[in-house]
Amino acid sequence: MLATAAPTTTYRMPSPSEGALAERAIVIAAQQGSDDAFAQLVRIHQRRAYAIVRAIVLSHEDAEDAVQEGFLHAHRALDRFRPDQPFGAWLYRIMANAALDLVRRRKVRQAEELPETIPMPFRDPAESGELKERLQEALTHLTNRQRSVIVMHDVEGFTHGEIGRTLGIPEGTARSDLHHARAALRRLLQNLRSRS
Amino acid sequence: MTHDRWSSSDPELTNALRELYAAPADEQYWDSLEARIIAFVAAGQSDETESWWAAMADMARPGLAAAAMLIFAAGAALVHSRQLEVSNAYAAVINPAPPSVEAATTRSVATGDGDFAIHYIISR
Repeated sequence: MLATAAPTTTYRMPSPSEGALAERAIVIAAQQGSDDAFAQLVRIHQRRAYAIVRAIVLSHEDAEDAVQEGFLHAHRALDRFRPDQPFGAWLYRIMANAALDLVRRRKVRQAEELPETIPMPFRDPAESGELKERLQEALTHLTNRQRSVIVMHDVEGFTHGEIGRTLGIPEGTARSDLHHARAALRRLLQNLRSRS
Repeated sequence: MTHDRWSSSDPELTNALRELYAAPADEQYWDSLEARIIAFVAAGQSDETESWWAAMADMARPGLAAAAMLIFAAGAALVHSRQLEVSNAYAAVINPAPPSVEAATTRSVATGDGDFAIHYIISR
């Protein structure tokens, strides 16, 4: 059973050369039931996991929920993971699925509870700037996949191949989605951009 | 502002996106999130165990009922087959079996031979 208290040990991020071997050992330990090892995997991957789900969902709060659900799914499926495979790619695919699932559930809930309302993006009152506001609104007009692809590529620096593997789509589709997302944003922000 | 500028990457747009999607920079936030994730997974684990036991408990009562029904049905079938055997045995004693086809054929052939002998004697 995992301890609920925050871990006190600090984890040193391994260098790329030693990282794969070290992580493999941690994954095997987690598969054998070590809660500390699983906590280390959480610490190593939570930022990247957050970045991926944040690209898919519309708000920071939903991203936190999706990350938690993603790690729960990963923990339940851990014994089915083959340690000779890259753990990150496996985990991030689970994260993307958890985020997509959450977006679907939110849409169903919105459709059931607020049929007359137009979905609006999450707005942080602290955020300002017309471009940012318009951008936030424009992003809601993209498809989930287009939004995910442009954020993962332009914000997080994922390659087309990494995006494809994470979202379960061909690399060419990720490239095409990126192009269409940019074109859509250009169209949606045209008035604002032409004024500046 | 041209189409080409937007088709490839756009620094202004990219910066706005990065600002919009910026992950919390505070280290304490990540420690807190890590603790919440661990707690969530632990709670999910115990929920799973509880639901497993609850499912077993829910299944126990119908399972017992189904087992009782099966035993009753098997017993009824056994009694029925036993009664059938007994009644067949009585029927075999009371109503003897009809002669077999072979016996009937032999008799008819024998009858035929008898007729032939009578005809032969008469014709003499």
